Amino acid sequence: MNPSLSVSPIPCPFCGLLCDDLEVAVVAGHARITSAGCARAAGLFDVPGQGQARVRGLAVAPEVAIAAAAGLLAAARRPLIGGLGCDVAGQRAAIALAERVAGVLEHMHGAAQFRNTLAFQDGGWMTTTLSEVRNRADVILFAGTDASAFPRFRERLLTGASQFGPARRRILALLPPSEALPEELGGDLVIPCPREGLAELAGVLRARLAGRRADRDPVAGVPGERIEALLDALRGARYGVLVWNAAELDFPQADLTVAALVDLLKDLNRDTRWAGLPLGGNDGGTSAAQVCAWQTGYPLRTALTASGPRYDPIGFAAERLLARGEVDALLWISALDPARLPPAADCPVIVLGRADMELATAPEVFIPVAVPGVQRAGYLHRMDGIVALPLAAPLACDLPGVAPILTTITEALDHAAA
Amino acid sequence: MLRLKGGRLYDPARAIDGQVGDLYLEGGRIVAPPGPDGVIDGEIDVTGRVVMAGAIDLHTHIGGGKMNIARMLLPEDHRGDPVPARDLHGGGHLHGGCGHAAPATWTTGYRYAEMGYTACFEPAMLPANARHAHLEMGDIPMVDKGAYAMLGNDDFFLRLLSSGADQRLINDYVGWTLDATQAMAIKVVNPGGISAFKFNARNLDLDEAHPHYGVTPRQVIQALARAVHDLGVAHPLHVHASNLGIPGNADTTLATMAAAEGLPIHLTHIQFHSYGTEGARRFSSEAERIAAAINRMANVSADVGQILFGQTVTASGDTMGQHRNHRHASPDKWVVMDIECDAGCGVVPFRYRDKNFVNALQWAIGLELFLRVSDPWRLFLTTDHPNGAPFTSYPHLIRLLMDRDFRNGKLDEIHAEAAAHSQLRSLAREYSLYEIAIMTRAGPARSLGLADRGHLGPGAWADVVVYRDEADREAMFAKPEYVFKDGELIVRDGRVVKVVNGALHALKPEYDKAIEQPLREYFDRYMTVKMEHMKIGDDEICACGASKLIPHKCGRQA
Ligand code: SF4
Ligand SMILES: [Zn+2]
Repeated sequence: MNPSLSVSPIPCPFCGLLCDDLEVAVVAGHARITSAGCARAAGLFDVPGQGQARVRGLAVAPEVAIAAAAGLLAAARRPLIGGLGCDVAGQRAAIALAERVAGVLEHMHGAAQFRNTLAFQDGGWMTTTLSEVRNRADVILFAGTDASAFPRFRERLLTGASQFGPARRRILALLPPSEALPEELGGDLVIPCPREGLAELAGVLRARLAGRRADRDPVAGVPGERIEALLDALRGARYGVLVWNAAELDFPQADLTVAALVDLLKDLNRDTRWAGLPLGGNDGGTSAAQVCAWQTGYPLRTALTASGPRYDPIGFAAERLLARGEVDALLWISALDPARLPPAADCPVIVLGRADMELATAPEVFIPVAVPGVQRAGYLHRMDGIVALPLAAPLACDLPGVAPILTTITEALDHAAA
Repeated sequence: MLRLKGGRLYDPARAIDGQVGDLYLEGGRIVAPPGPDGVIDGEIDVTGRVVMAGAIDLHTHIGGGKMNIARMLLPEDHRGDPVPARDLHGGGHLHGGCGHAAPATWTTGYRYAEMGYTACFEPAMLPANARHAHLEMGDIPMVDKGAYAMLGNDDFFLRLLSSGADQRLINDYVGWTLDATQAMAIKVVNPGGISAFKFNARNLDLDEAHPHYGVTPRQVIQALARAVHDLGVAHPLHVHASNLGIPGNADTTLATMAAAEGLPIHLTHIQFHSYGTEGARRFSSEAERIAAAINRMANVSADVGQILFGQTVTASGDTMGQHRNHRHASPDKWVVMDIECDAGCGVVPFRYRDKNFVNALQWAIGLELFLRVSDPWRLFLTTDHPNGAPFTSYPHLIRLLMDRDFRNGKLDEIHAEAAAHSQLRSLAREYSLYEIAIMTRAGPARSLGLADRGHLGPGAWADVVVYRDEADREAMFAKPEYVFKDGELIVRDGRVVKVVNGALHALKPEYDKAIEQPLREYFDRYMTVKMEHMKIGDDEICACGASKLIPHKCGRQA
């Protein structure tokens, strides 16, 4: 093998930004990022080329593990096809398998995703995409997030050249009192506000936009004069972008907070331009929702029953299904991040995971899979759901991808049923 | 070789109007009658049946980001319309799905085939979203697919135009876009207006300067129509004109036709662009004037975008228009998205009501256009799925066109004032089967440059539909007796009997690849995607899900 094979530039599949400017060299069997990237990417690009299939912790041949997985799924009445941390091909195969076994589909970040989905299905929204932010945004409002979960957010979206100026953007933030905006973001107006208070604050901002007076002071701990300052900044934007991260809105009924932010955005657009940027899309989450929506009509939390797809955005949360014993097997797919382990479950668990995944307790079946974007080519969507990028395989290996394994299982079940 | 014996053939490309004849299918194609030694190993007696080529829908929003947004937005659209999975007797599997106005991809393909359609063209593929669109279309089975790339609101193009770039450079960029996105044609939506909305403009007339670039929609149309023509793209520039849905927009529409200055131009969903401001309600039909202009101008073609009553969802690249329309959303939720310095999309659910004056008149305006445009080779049958109505309403629409009594019966049911305003009742025309075959087969194939589709001549691909000749044209067109795709029987009595996945049609234009140098610099400097990753390789088409890529050459050279 060529000791230093360089592929460039390629996309990184390890967060929803899907930066596509990485240069990667293979040195002594390891993928090394030589240009662009971040610490998260550097760690996750380094993945072993070999893995061991196991059944109840015992090493077996891959065919044996696949047969065991097929057997468990055949015996289940309603399995949860969860995790879904993989590329488009893997998600297509997961849906085909779910249809064969009457499974429920849910992504590992379903709890965060559905804070957005519920708000979206209630009222719609106005959003934008990464290149629009970079080129147009003159005001950014961070609501309950500093975007640091997406390591190159600032570099990729806020500091690069822009077609329309301005050279400097106004940065506004609503963050809990205990959290500071990272210094490099250079906040112009940082207002302490608990995340649970964002909805109330958004409501008062809407009332003020409509010319009504706030009926109380402070609102969610924010004093009136700061609300007025914020209001001026919102109104003064040529193209404002409101950034939130549903994963950080981790409290009951946070979908209502998203809905309140969306309503504020809609009202702002009566006079000026604003758009939302919902952060997310890690571990193939955007692709999973997109593929499921086009194939079944619903964006996950969907059971593929004999009478057609059935959607239950509350009842089919993985946590709830597992806690209530409403599923009797769990297939967990996590091909991108070895830290994304299956949740505790009282039913048989099958894991398709990265070779370097470390499981505290051995599942019924473990099948190592190639990592899309490192070891296998594939497709993945960026967080905005618009851009789908071709993933490369700088470190091709012999491990199969998620898709062929799931297809083999589905075919085995087809044969058994025929 | 299979013989379809004794059918009445409607094959306008060869001027065959109901003559009785046999068709021979072999190796996926229609072949000449074999000599006396020919071996016929199968025969279907289709005596008395109506035989046409597979239908082609040249404007239907079947795949791409905005349809998926519509699906996600509307679980209530799907809940009442579940489609169970089904195993076929001869092997093969039909996936479950759902949906009325925004059906799942599998369901879309099955339903189209079950109506006798064998090719569908997605008219609004954003280059930034092209790979997603191909992935989605890859999961639409049964029919061949193709897509039109949207240009004219992207900042790269507007920079070129406003800097006075040479037309040749624009041609190269248009050629590159067709190539990079695997498209069949070029569409422009609200020329410059989607971009202007990002600069907070709420309206942009044909001769109004863009707030940032200073160029006008007229200039955008002219530059793109010229490029499409110079590159030798078969299908004319596909134009969603300015001021969609606004009373009085007929003037804009007529000016847009004139703006092409004799170059080929296709005006899409023209029903939404044929409105006047007369009457107490300041909303009236200008169908007569628009139709007269189409009849007069041989360089103009159009599709209607008929509305039909009931629940649907509107999905458009026209963010400016959709944001304006959001107050009509039913149910009350809507999406507007600015996209990648490229374009945008807006999704607004809508319910057309026959007792609503405006909706009723829209319905009548669409039908008037159908009946007043004399040349069916230049007018195509569409509902702008799903914007006017879901594509599953085509059989109903065909009956409205073919059956005057049925049409007048419906006219009695709509808002009385609207019916009185419309001249529809005075139009006696009834479409013939031959004209329907032009509008839904031969015409679209010719417009798109598909030489071996849309007709039944030897050498054509054997996309063939056999209908029972029923007096109720709606029943007839809803449920063909046989549908063949590339020679294979895929539908029997309106039900899928074999699953195929359909190919992708894409143009392979010739242009100067030197355009990649400024493009690469632009993407490197401003965008969050590399130019190289925008390009969709030929080898990606099957990975996206199509059975194969069908490349098409351009007709003229620049
Ligand atoms: S920011 Fe995200 S996508 Fe970009 S290199 Fe880091 S992990 Fe990869
Ligand atoms: Zn359309």
